[in-house]
Amino acid sequence: MVSGAGGGGNDVQWCFSQVKGAIDDDVAEADIISTVEFNHSGELLATGDKGGRVVIFQQETENKSQPQCRSEYNVYSTFQSHEPEFDYLKSLEIEEKINKIRWLPQKNAAQFLLSTNDKTIKLWKISERDKRPEGYNLKEEDGRYRDATTITTLRVPVFRPMDLMVEASPRRVFANAHTYHINSISVNSDNETYLSADDLRINLWHLEITDRSFNIVDIKPANMEELTEVITAAEFHPHQCNTFVYSSSKGTIRLCDMRASALCDKHSKLFEEPEDPSNRSFFSEIISSISDVKFSHNGRYMMTRDYLSVKIWDLNMENRPVETYQVHEYLRSKLCSLYENDCIFDKFECCWNGNDSVVMTGSYNNFFRMLDRTQRRDVTLEASRESCKPRQVLKPRRVCAGGKRKKDEISVDSLDFNKKILHTAWHPQENIIAVATTNNLYIFQEKVN
Amino acid sequence: MDVEAKRIMAVSIGKLYSLRTQRGGLRLHRSLLLSMTMRAARDIYHTAQLLRDAEEEQVVPCAPDAATEEPMEISKDSPQTLTPKEVAVKPQETLEEDKENRCASERHSRKRRGKTAVEPDFLPLKKAKMDTDEEKQHLQGEVLRTNNGNSCRQAETLSAFPTNRAIVAC
Repeated sequence: MVSGAGGGGNDVQWCFSQVKGAIDDDVAEADIISTVEFNHSGELLATGDKGGRVVIFQQETENKSQPQCRSEYNVYSTFQSHEPEFDYLKSLEIEEKINKIRWLPQKNAAQFLLSTNDKTIKLWKISERDKRPEGYNLKEEDGRYRDATTITTLRVPVFRPMDLMVEASPRRVFANAHTYHINSISVNSDNETYLSADDLRINLWHLEITDRSFNIVDIKPANMEELTEVITAAEFHPHQCNTFVYSSSKGTIRLCDMRASALCDKHSKLFEEPEDPSNRSFFSEIISSISDVKFSHNGRYMMTRDYLSVKIWDLNMENRPVETYQVHEYLRSKLCSLYENDCIFDKFECCWNGNDSVVMTGSYNNFFRMLDRTQRRDVTLEASRESCKPRQVLKPRRVCAGGKRKKDEISVDSLDFNKKILHTAWHPQENIIAVATTNNLYIFQEKVN
Repeated sequence: MDVEAKRIMAVSIGKLYSLRTQRGGLRLHRSLLLSMTMRAARDIYHTAQLLRDAEEEQVVPCAPDAATEEPMEISKDSPQTLTPKEVAVKPQETLEEDKENRCASERHSRKRRGKTAVEPDFLPLKKAKMDTDEEKQHLQGEVLRTNNGNSCRQAETLSAFPTNRAIVAC
């Protein structure tokens, strides 16, 4: 069984591990999960929701004497990151929904993450407190001052262990730099700067400086009526601190080098695949819009997600992707209905496994897809309360596009389009995945014999 | 096809309106995609409408004017006799014709949007003119970018026989 490097999507059998969140079918809007992210070691897993809250889960230290007991993720910290705000000047409400969370690499005992809503990014410090000072001379243990006349001896206060307390405190607030809605944040490999991207602009920040940022991309036209495309996602290269990419609603990706000029409006590389004319329809523009872009861990490739497919691009080849995977091609004939019910605007994310051999993305009916690049195989799995027995192996699912439906297949018309998996994350080293349904977080692990 | 286009147009407009009342402010990305889809549907719909109008006009006999009937016949055969008259047309007429041609060209350039978009051969005159008059093609190419919906609508109210108008004006 492949382990450690997190490889082998289809040699791996996936088992249910845990599910977090309410069981009710009646979903409170504030509980809708809007982002999921493992930290760099995989020990911590953060989720953000529409109510502006961040919940962090921590992996239990593995019990080495009992390898069958896989480590579980338990709640580590919960805090309110963003509150709803009102922009009085524009008479606009600013949603508290957490759009993205990005962890900073750990430098000391504390953990740091960036969380953002539509307008404001915040740097949070998550630290542990497991001891407290006891034995003050002037104060009682509960903090009340002692009567000075009763003090007859002096003692040195000492630290004594206490129940672990995890504190989250906002260390920086990066505000007022975005006119449009922030869709991405990305920490640079230099560990000093990060970028934030909205529909038309990308800004570069220093983690220590909150009162200014540098605009590095601006695609706003002089006349807004001439607007033809917007920025949909942006990310820094994992190793080259001068390189970042941003994707557009027209299905293009631009790679920019910050050494070339201060304003990176002019791209260094433009990745674009010519459209297949036979697939042209009213909705071609919408489905070609890229909803997510992610560099591979090794920095040689990047992956893009549009409505129907996942594409892997070699950074050295701009004219077409090196691999294309259909996520749910059976939806191509349903685009009109999906337009009417707004599903065609859903923004699916995608992620790489630790050694870049498998990629994962979500779909409808709480299905998610694992696409194995090395074995050229793919599998569809489901996050469902019905497969929630401990260590229950997930059975591959099949969708019947048309014609006679085989046993165990589900027909396209039976798919529940309200059950969508937009956010998924893969542990950076192990075969552990976190899959977010509307308001539940499923954790699946590789089956261990 | 135009029924589909009309429906998409209506749905798009409805969605664009509801965007304004959504919490969190106007979503630029979504409104851009909606308006692009709406415009594509609108173009197909107008193209189909003109097709229907042209078909109706062809079915109904033309006004008993040899001059007006002449261009139709001529265009089927050869449009050379029209060319000198077109060139002699006053600039205002040229502008109006250009608006129509502009729309037609746009429909040409936009017909790629719909799989079943109809080749506008319902306007044989326009086609003929565009084939022979390179200068007009050049002008059309220049003004294509600046079209707004209004000029299309104006074209609809204008006669489907611009050449007639040219001749009448002369």
